[in-house]
Amino acid sequence: MDGLTFYSGFVVPFIVGTSVLFAVIVYKYVRWFARLPRRDKLSVRRGMFSGATVAAAWECLMESLLHRRIWRVNPALGYMHTSFALGWFLLIAVGWIETVAYLGGRFVPLQGHIFFKYFTTELQHGPRWGVNFEAVMDLLLLYVLSGVALALFKRLRSRAMGMRRTTQLRMGDRVAMASLWFIFPMRLLAESFTSGIHGSGGFLTGGLGGVLATVVPAGVMPIAELGAWWGYSIALGVFFVSMPFSRYMHIFTEIPLIFLRRWGVRGEVGREKSFDHFQLEACSRCGICIDPCQMQRDGGMTGVQSVYFIRDRRYNRLSRRMADSCMACGRCEAKCPVGLELDTLRVGSRYTLNNTPSNDRWAYARGGNGRSDIAGASLPSETAQVGYFAGCMTLLSPRILRAMESVFAAAGEDVWWADREGGVCCGRPMKLAGEVDAARDMMKLNEELFRRHGITTLVTSCPICLRVFREDYSLRGIEVLHHSEYFQRLVAGGRISLKAGSERLTYHDPCELGRGCGIYDEPREVLRAVGELAEPSETREEALCCGSSIAGNAIGGVAQTLMGRAVGRAFEATGASCVVTACPLCKKALARGTELPVLDLAEVVERHLMTAADSK
Amino acid sequence: MGAVNFGYGISAARGMDLDRNDLGPAREIADEVPEFRACIACGGCTATCTAGNLTSFNFRMVHTLVRRGEYAGAYREMNKCMLCGKCRLVCPRGINTRGVVMQIKRKLGDY
Ligand code: SF4
Ligand code: SF4
Ligand code: SF4
Ligand code: SF4
Repeated sequence: MDGLTFYSGFVVPFIVGTSVLFAVIVYKYVRWFARLPRRDKLSVRRGMFSGATVAAAWECLMESLLHRRIWRVNPALGYMHTSFALGWFLLIAVGWIETVAYLGGRFVPLQGHIFFKYFTTELQHGPRWGVNFEAVMDLLLLYVLSGVALALFKRLRSRAMGMRRTTQLRMGDRVAMASLWFIFPMRLLAESFTSGIHGSGGFLTGGLGGVLATVVPAGVMPIAELGAWWGYSIALGVFFVSMPFSRYMHIFTEIPLIFLRRWGVRGEVGREKSFDHFQLEACSRCGICIDPCQMQRDGGMTGVQSVYFIRDRRYNRLSRRMADSCMACGRCEAKCPVGLELDTLRVGSRYTLNNTPSNDRWAYARGGNGRSDIAGASLPSETAQVGYFAGCMTLLSPRILRAMESVFAAAGEDVWWADREGGVCCGRPMKLAGEVDAARDMMKLNEELFRRHGITTLVTSCPICLRVFREDYSLRGIEVLHHSEYFQRLVAGGRISLKAGSERLTYHDPCELGRGCGIYDEPREVLRAVGELAEPSETREEALCCGSSIAGNAIGGVAQTLMGRAVGRAFEATGASCVVTACPLCKKALARGTELPVLDLAEVVERHLMTAADSK
Repeated sequence: MGAVNFGYGISAARGMDLDRNDLGPAREIADEVPEFRACIACGGCTATCTAGNLTSFNFRMVHTLVRRGEYAGAYREMNKCMLCGKCRLVCPRGINTRGVVMQIKRKLGDY
């Protein structure tokens, strides 16, 4: 045999660190997984042997190793992440191949692979299988080192990379980060000393080794060599032990997260869930979610963005203010490279902090015998095909109501007005505030109301109501439409005709309608029929929030106004003469932020309704 | 106590002794929602209130009493609020009224 042994005292820190890391990770993942509801476990079992698994593996490659989504947002940051992830992965993978190339199928313990250079000095150097492994490994090391240099630079001057300083670090993070930075320089030093002594090594370690051999006295070289290997092993050991308690946990956690997501596991809107742990610990604290946030950008509210929220929730230090300071606008979620359900996580925490037992709160709305006493609802004889639920905010905007009336009349629609004389709120504001139990009660009240009137279509003007009808209500047999979809159908079906105009209009995507329900095209189609559409610079999936979101429980009037003005400026820059939106709340909020007239889509449709006189 | 009672006294139920009331919780609420101090008790919130439309819930009355340290029943009353947010849109002082509701529920659950 070759007489190689793979043991030296310095491997102990590495072995200990690896064992601890492995044990903690297995413990965490098994525990989180075990606590998933049975429904999720079933869908995992079903997804496991389907194409979803292949897709997940591919996504892991693209995201966990190559970090494609980070590249797209910020190339410098992408390079840094990739150099660590891909570089380190390749160092391990190619290192493994190198071991096999030199030693064949012989069993080599883990530390033998990691500290290969140290243990194999007696081997014949030079290429194997036609590959100069020493040079390849040096190149990879250089690649990772370039990432380390960039990371150092980022810490010192985060603005230079177009990033904000993400966090004040916690203890675990500090230790992990410091040790991580030491790992690769120590490896370089250790391998260089060994190369210097034995005249081996590639262009990097061999070159540096040669230099070291000339400046360091020959007697000191072996001591320095051993010291450097100890340093390398300790850095690895410390990093591995601190990793599960630091943000670097994301390196591994993104992988189970991707698989679970592909197998159909999701967070539960309105409640915390075991799956959330995978999401919380998969956050790399890259800080990409900070810049899109209008609370930060325009509202002067710093330190409450998703990255901070996730950090605080993960370490069990979440304050109510933190949980409540968010509009759930979804802008950061759309940018998060890990694809975390940031809105769901935030609202779930509100449930934990705010939910109070329902105590039959809405008994007054239910009346004596379980029947609702509220107006409209008390006329069960009134039935119609189409029900119209204005929603609280629309009731505050009589012009929208009047416009709806005109459109219904023009289309000859027989409509039952569900809440004209006052009704119960849809329940979404309660849910977004964390009071899920009370919200559930309100939803039941409305469900019963809708059923009693025999409608088959439910139209609403409010995207907040729309979303909760679609996501939380059980309304089998009733099609729920936003008025923008309804208008688009009326026009397409020839039930109403619109007069074309030449006015230049711009359109504001309400968060709940766009990112929330995926409705972008219907309102635009209607608008293009009546005027020229000018898009603001951030639109559709990237649209701005009006700033007055109903989810913003702890956002003061000043911040709302500041955000509203910033949005207003974006619309003024389009040169349009009128801002159109499709949400009564957005309409009110935008009207405070711009001098331009702000109309709801319903008003625009009403104005352009073709009457009998027009068509002559 | 020997004085004749002519029936003009302030009825006990309506008496409000600002020196005795514990204004601590009221202050805490106002600290969380600072604009609340600017309330002019105009009643816009009550006029538009969704819950007030269906019941005798009177938001202005409750929060005005709370500001004066009268907390009895405030929590129970606030449970009628649907957090719909209409009041916030009409409030002329731009007060985060939903925030006030939530704070009253958090801070005055024991009264
Ligand atoms: S939430 Fe997403 S975008 Fe924000 S820091 Fe974490 S990984 Fe980055
Ligand atoms: S959801 Fe919107 S308001 Fe909340 S943190 Fe993300 S970008 Fe900011
Ligand atoms: S509308 Fe505003 S200012 Fe008026 S009573 Fe209500 S909270 Fe106070
Ligand atoms: S949020 Fe509450 S207090 Fe305000 S209008 Fe709605 S139900 Fe009334």
